[in-house]
Amino acid sequence: MANETVLIIGGGPAGMEAARSVAELGYPALLVEKRDRLGGRPDEEHYAKLTHHFRDAEEMIQELLDAVTSNPNVTIMTSSEVVGCEGEAGNFRVKVRNGASTEDVEVGAIIVATGFQHFDPGRETQMYNYYTFPDVITLADLEGMLKAHQVVRPSNGQTPERVAFIQCVGSRDRQIGNEFCSKVCCGVATKQAIEVKQQLPDARVFIFYIDMRMYGYWEPDLYWPAQEEYKVNYVKGIVSEVLPKGDRLLIRGEDTTMGRPMEVTVDLVVLSVGMEPSEGTRKVAKILDIKQNKYGYIEAGGPTGVDPVATSRHGIFVAGAAAGPADLDDTFSMAGLAAVRAISAIRRLNLAKAV
Amino acid sequence: MDWVSTKATKYADVPYEEKLRLFLEVKNDPRYEDYLYGCYECGICVSACPSARFYDYSPRVIAQTMAREDVDRFYEIMVEDIWNCAQCFSCVRCPRQNNPGGLVTLIREVAVRNGLKEARDVLQGYSRVIYKVMLKGNQVSPDMLQPDFFPDWGPWVREFSANMDVWRQAIPADTMRGVTDAAWRTDEKTLRELYTIWFETNNIDIVREVDEGLYELLLDVMEEVLEEEEVA
Repeated sequence: MANETVLIIGGGPAGMEAARSVAELGYPALLVEKRDRLGGRPDEEHYAKLTHHFRDAEEMIQELLDAVTSNPNVTIMTSSEVVGCEGEAGNFRVKVRNGASTEDVEVGAIIVATGFQHFDPGRETQMYNYYTFPDVITLADLEGMLKAHQVVRPSNGQTPERVAFIQCVGSRDRQIGNEFCSKVCCGVATKQAIEVKQQLPDARVFIFYIDMRMYGYWEPDLYWPAQEEYKVNYVKGIVSEVLPKGDRLLIRGEDTTMGRPMEVTVDLVVLSVGMEPSEGTRKVAKILDIKQNKYGYIEAGGPTGVDPVATSRHGIFVAGAAAGPADLDDTFSMAGLAAVRAISAIRRLNLAKAV
Repeated sequence: MDWVSTKATKYADVPYEEKLRLFLEVKNDPRYEDYLYGCYECGICVSACPSARFYDYSPRVIAQTMAREDVDRFYEIMVEDIWNCAQCFSCVRCPRQNNPGGLVTLIREVAVRNGLKEARDVLQGYSRVIYKVMLKGNQVSPDMLQPDFFPDWGPWVREFSANMDVWRQAIPADTMRGVTDAAWRTDEKTLRELYTIWFETNNIDIVREVDEGLYELLLDVMEEVLEEEEVA
């Protein structure tokens, strides 16, 4: 008989949603998380509000957490890592290490939900000086400031008069090796620009971009209100460098649609860093022997190309940003589908044996 | 300095505060929020714009400059760009429902109200038109075709103006035959109503801003006519 337990690796939004779905469909879920608590990136990086519904991130994570902790079908192992895997669909034997001890668990299917990490702006070809100037920060840094209602210049603790976002940092760049679009940064930066204006109505906010990718409802929910209600300035043209100017920062770029080079003095520069596969994603892919694409993300799509949760191995599925840049809508859709696919794989094996 | 192009700012001799004052006069117009939402720089307005084909003029730049609140560029636009707009409003096909032509209207009005030199220069050639419209209720009349006026109407202006009576005779309709100072007859009641409108709407004051001499001329005639009515 195939083992009915579904192992979910990673306790972020994708992992928690997958565990909840598996459990609610009546199957046992084993949720393994490397950190000592569930919540993933939104928890670890202190997200303020979610793109695009402006929902409180902590509240949303708490709802997921309550759903998995209150369901007796979910077993949670925190501070635990998957370190080995043998067997095949229906009967995977997985080694889980917790501190000094290692436990062998048997599961029927696996969902990988190991997520992404933000691009490190120290590794870049542009000269944005993230590690040199305190007032050059990332989306993740600003998220924490917004959550604390403390949007200030780190250099002196003062309120910034002018804030500039620089898009596509670490994305769409052959020199860096990340040719892909990270998909969420246009929406996240726009959401943050709106939040900055809500918290600091007198601030002037600029977004320097290559293309604004405001797909679906991000257009009426984020982009248009940012321009029309909050007067956020969108300038098509990527900044080439950030330089010191007195105690402020000078950003240099081209204002392409106005046909002129430009220099703007600002107080706070926010780098819209993209997504990369997390260290956990790279590691787990090797342990589970599933294919990765050239960027290190887990290759999804399956033989038909239209199964977004299938990996190269039968019985192993992927959900969320472990498979590539994803927003929360993508992540939740994938998590639910991965739960269904995992249970289907187990049931199919058992039905075949019953005949 | 608000927004710095690395190219030298034009009209640097005009104080920033003055540019900002004019900008805010445009922005605070009650029509402004219906004319400008936000611009994502698609260029459809330029594609639809006849002036953009022939002049260094872009309705997109008008909308963008206003949306960015780029005060220096705004001043350039006020002095240079807006006078190339034909006010045909082809640009209102904007998917964001902006009205760049409407923005030009607002900026022109502010330029005229503030008596900007550029507004005076542009309107100088139109003094005769203003005179005809405001005083006679006619837009143009044959006698306005004088050798040195409206050079942009082409070389035939000289020829036509020299033989105006003959050309006028050639028009088949016999009304107005021989009359060259009007295109049509405007009755006295209509004229009095027009004069009243110019005063009530303060249009006459706008004329004073751009052409003091014309203003005096109009005022003399119009006041006399309106006083006559009161006496009667």
